Amino acid sequence: MSLTALDSSGQTPGAAAGIAAHLGGIRRSFVSTSGLVVNAISSISLDLVEGEVVALIGPSGCGKSSLLRILAGLDEDYSGELVWGDGGGHDQGRLASATVFQGDSTLPWMSVDNNIGLGMAGLRLDKATIRRRVERYRDLVGLADFGRSYPSELSGGMRQRVAIARALATEPLLLLMDEPLSALDAQTRLVMQQELLDIWKKAKSTVVYVTHDINEAVTLADRIVVLTARPGRIKEIHRVPFGAERNVLELREHPEFGRLEAELWRLVADEVGQKL
Amino acid sequence: MTAIDVDAAPLADADIARVLRQRRQDARLRVVYGAGFPIILLLIWQILCMVGVIDVRFFPSPANILATAYQILTSPDEGGRLLADIGATLQRLVVGYLLGAISGIVVGVAMGLYRPIRYAVAPLVYATFPTPKLAIFPLLIVIFGLGDSSKTALITLAVFYMTAINSLSGIIHANPIYQDFAKAFRIPPLTQWLRIALPSALPSIMAGLKLGIGQALIMVVSAEFVSSSDGIGYYIWNSWQVLDIARMFVGLVVVMVIGGIAVWLSNLLEHALIPWVKH
Repeated sequence: MSLTALDSSGQTPGAAAGIAAHLGGIRRSFVSTSGLVVNAISSISLDLVEGEVVALIGPSGCGKSSLLRILAGLDEDYSGELVWGDGGGHDQGRLASATVFQGDSTLPWMSVDNNIGLGMAGLRLDKATIRRRVERYRDLVGLADFGRSYPSELSGGMRQRVAIARALATEPLLLLMDEPLSALDAQTRLVMQQELLDIWKKAKSTVVYVTHDINEAVTLADRIVVLTARPGRIKEIHRVPFGAERNVLELREHPEFGRLEAELWRLVADEVGQKL
Repeated sequence: MTAIDVDAAPLADADIARVLRQRRQDARLRVVYGAGFPIILLLIWQILCMVGVIDVRFFPSPANILATAYQILTSPDEGGRLLADIGATLQRLVVGYLLGAISGIVVGVAMGLYRPIRYAVAPLVYATFPTPKLAIFPLLIVIFGLGDSSKTALITLAVFYMTAINSLSGIIHANPIYQDFAKAFRIPPLTQWLRIALPSALPSIMAGLKLGIGQALIMVVSAEFVSSSDGIGYYIWNSWQVLDIARMFVGLVVVMVIGGIAVWLSNLLEHALIPWVKH
């Protein structure tokens, strides 16, 4: 498998302005223990525009998490090109990408502030800048009074907000979210969806959001990328017409919301059906 | 954004007092029951001795053991000997334990963090682990001589295995999401080791340290049974050989107290090192 990916910190001349990341023909195969080659992703090309929220949906096993791990830098064993836009790299004090994981990823042995601060350890920032960012993003996610608390003293939703603040504080080109709300109960999830919309707007984040929840994708995303069953390819891309000023409750009464959700359901069900 | 009320709906003073009272009562009950049950067992033992059910030649009554202990401690000759034996044992224990714990943690953590070391060393450690350490005590005597060194080495060896294996498993069985976090956020290696890998393994390392205490006590007493002219193990064995059973029991109580203090100290260390784990 050839590796043509550029270093995540490297700046690429010629990357179009306003493009946070360019994916060109990304492929990923796994070799099973019996030596069988399983294609997880076959040729995904996509431009991620600065400031937009892109949701990845598709039947389980379609490679959406694999794609996210490639963007996160957790998987370097792919082929195709991944080019980061301008403004990336360590010199500017930003990570190319920062991830909010599905499970609780806060470190229980350090306080909320130290958890958020540790996320910036890979950036060459002075102490004062780190301090300032910790405070800014900790307050932004609504944990102003909990800087010295330990994760064990917080609820699941609050711990996930610590993880979100930790990712935001690296001011990443791409904020990657891997089903970050799936472990939360329905009420908390609804509240957190509204908070995510508000936080993204304030932080001007470019977001790639993996979810299996179509309702959540329509609620949060500007564009929804539907992947096919394995090997994952882009089946269709839908633009969500609601804009940045959204209210998660009012949104549900919008006729377009139901129509779009139903259409996406059909697409995904179609893919699942072919697999069954 | 939802505000989180930190001071919403304060409890009435009476309610707080009631909760605190209940907690105090629970704490008292724990002490009373925890101390009361062994005292009841000792009383039963005492009564069975007094009515003649137990042969007091081999199982002297608790009161008799207490009296013997008092007698020994107040006699300058006997008491001095006991203290010298305790000192000899403690010295072997502390030196052997520290050497074993430090080398075990270093090797275990190194195996966990660095794959070539793990591939080279772990099979050897696991293969030799089930060997009873006491079985190679003669070999240790050949290497280190009949003095303190061979006994200290035996303790070191036993504690080393406990801490090395638990440190290794603590590192490689830590929640993989921590490693994903470190990699996704490009945390530099040194920071990753010190602030993520090591703390994540601390609960397991601590478990190894506690298991090591038991091992160290077994080894020191066994070694002193077999080859020694001092130490608390020798004290117990010698008392048994001259059939001074009450004195033997005093030796047993001393070993129990040493073990108890060691476990108590390790609990303090545990609370200080891993406060985030609920005990």
